[in-house]
Amino acid sequence: MSVAPGPRASIVAALAVLALYAGLIVSLAWFLDGGVLSRTLFSERSLFSVQLSLAAATVATALALLLAIPAAYALSRHRFPGKEATETVLEFPIIVSPAALGAIILIFFNNPLGEWIQENVIYFVFGFAGIVLAQFVTILGLAVRMLKAAFDAVPVELETVARTLGARPRLVFFTVTLPLAKHGLIAAFILTWAKALGEFGATLMVAGSMAMRTETLPIAIYMRLSNADIEGTVALILILVGIGLTALFIARRILARSAHA
Amino acid sequence: MLEIDGLTAQAGGFRLHGISLRVGEGECHALLGPSGSGKSTLLAALLGTLPGVTGSLRLAGEELSTLPIERRHLGYVPQQLGLFPHLSVRDNLIYSARARHVPEAEYRPLLDRLTDLTGIGALLSRPIATLSGGERQRVALVRALTANPRLVLLDEPFTALNESLRRELWWLVRDLQRERGLTVLLVTHDLSEAHFLADRITVLIDGRQEQSDHKAAVYRRPASVAVARFLGLKNLFPARTLGPQAVDCADLGGRLAVAEEGAARGEVWLAIRAEHVALRTPETPSRPGETRLGGRFEAVLDLGESALLHFCADTGARLEVRCGSRVLRKYGLRAGDAGAVGLPADDLFTLPR
Repeated sequence: MSVAPGPRASIVAALAVLALYAGLIVSLAWFLDGGVLSRTLFSERSLFSVQLSLAAATVATALALLLAIPAAYALSRHRFPGKEATETVLEFPIIVSPAALGAIILIFFNNPLGEWIQENVIYFVFGFAGIVLAQFVTILGLAVRMLKAAFDAVPVELETVARTLGARPRLVFFTVTLPLAKHGLIAAFILTWAKALGEFGATLMVAGSMAMRTETLPIAIYMRLSNADIEGTVALILILVGIGLTALFIARRILARSAHA
Repeated sequence: MLEIDGLTAQAGGFRLHGISLRVGEGECHALLGPSGSGKSTLLAALLGTLPGVTGSLRLAGEELSTLPIERRHLGYVPQQLGLFPHLSVRDNLIYSARARHVPEAEYRPLLDRLTDLTGIGALLSRPIATLSGGERQRVALVRALTANPRLVLLDEPFTALNESLRRELWWLVRDLQRERGLTVLLVTHDLSEAHFLADRITVLIDGRQEQSDHKAAVYRRPASVAVARFLGLKNLFPARTLGPQAVDCADLGGRLAVAEEGAARGEVWLAIRAEHVALRTPETPSRPGETRLGGRFEAVLDLGESALLHFCADTGARLEVRCGSRVLRKYGLRAGDAGAVGLPADDLFTLPR
């Protein structure tokens, strides 16, 4: 006996998902005030938060991809000791709450090695580097997982053929594997970037919430809500939602193109 | 040219046992076997994509196992052809030249000759996605030859094609092989493909090398029951050798003459190919050296070019008979008709039991 719902019930369920999220976003309109929206959007503090969030998310995503691309390729193509453990640990940022993740980073910088790094290499806590690090740690697992899926979709056989044609492994990677995984890579960049942009818990723990210094967009939303500034909060949420939905739209277009390629 | 000695390899739970074979220069050698027999594993061992391969693999005197894939001088056409979908036909064809930094003046004459021979000159600017199945095969074949390989590996590249296109490409490969003097290792599960293209055949079954011989010898005298069954031989009967040219087979009525003394002695299988069983009428006089069996045709299938009949002998033995459709029409046979078949001694052979 099938346990799957009939087509009508499943379509209703799908539309209920849409209604839930769309309803939540539309409900913001209740507190939408044109004057407050425009004042908040163009205030120096909000613009700083937007710029800080965009810059930190872009740097964190770029750094994450720098490590994730070779790591994902190794997980997709090679067998090595520790492979299974590596694949398992990719879920770590998902099972540990972002706040706990941030706390772990903060505690690390209070041990001798962490202190040495802060004193001699780069100072992370309560600064831009801390925001980037918190976002980097949060999105790295997701980036590796998405990129591995992109590499898995490229048949190994094409790499073998390229090598029989005289290409060394590095050339094969740059002329065959990477171009064929291109759409997956771009989609991974956009989605991990959007996740970094919305990161809150870990960032708050590592970088704090200093206005005009470490106040990213999600932290600014939290601060405004703490001060019972609902209209201002709604304005900032709309900015975050706008950026996030645009990123999702672009990622979906790219993934759809890759599926039809 | 290619010398494989005692090759053993493991791929997952599958094991290839001590394979040894030789492929001479300019020769086409077919690796024939059912799915999962180890054909592609052997190819992977040659390509160098399989870890833990033991034994010796020498190509033109050079040990392959220590060389990376790109220095093995192999041309490779996999089953899915492996064309790079993000490149045009031209870019696929000059990939090797670019990878090896060969100037255009050097690679151009060979490329022009190959594109002329295969008739793909008009396709060069086309994206791979726009090519038909046959065009893709041609491009993949040409690309595999652009690096002047010492050995060309063809891994069932014609499987997905219809019969007429397949035959067209067989002729093309044959022409290319003769024109370029190519040494080819062809993986196939299709006996006709192996017979059309290859000089010699190695039959692999369950990771074991069952037989390596000239194609005519593999066809006429399979080395084992496993090979015989894979080649489609259904007429196998338990028997006992009585001397150099005689066997006792209860299923076929007792003592029978066999022309060649088989390697097997004692308890054996007596075999005859379906196409070697001759249709006879009860009135036809017996021919010298032929065993005549009377019986009834249980099924008669006209397949167009040929016909397949199931014959139940009066002794109880069931034989498969294959003949031309014209022969079938001449005899006017239908299912249920009584009749007779002849088993020529020249075509009866024994296999170890």
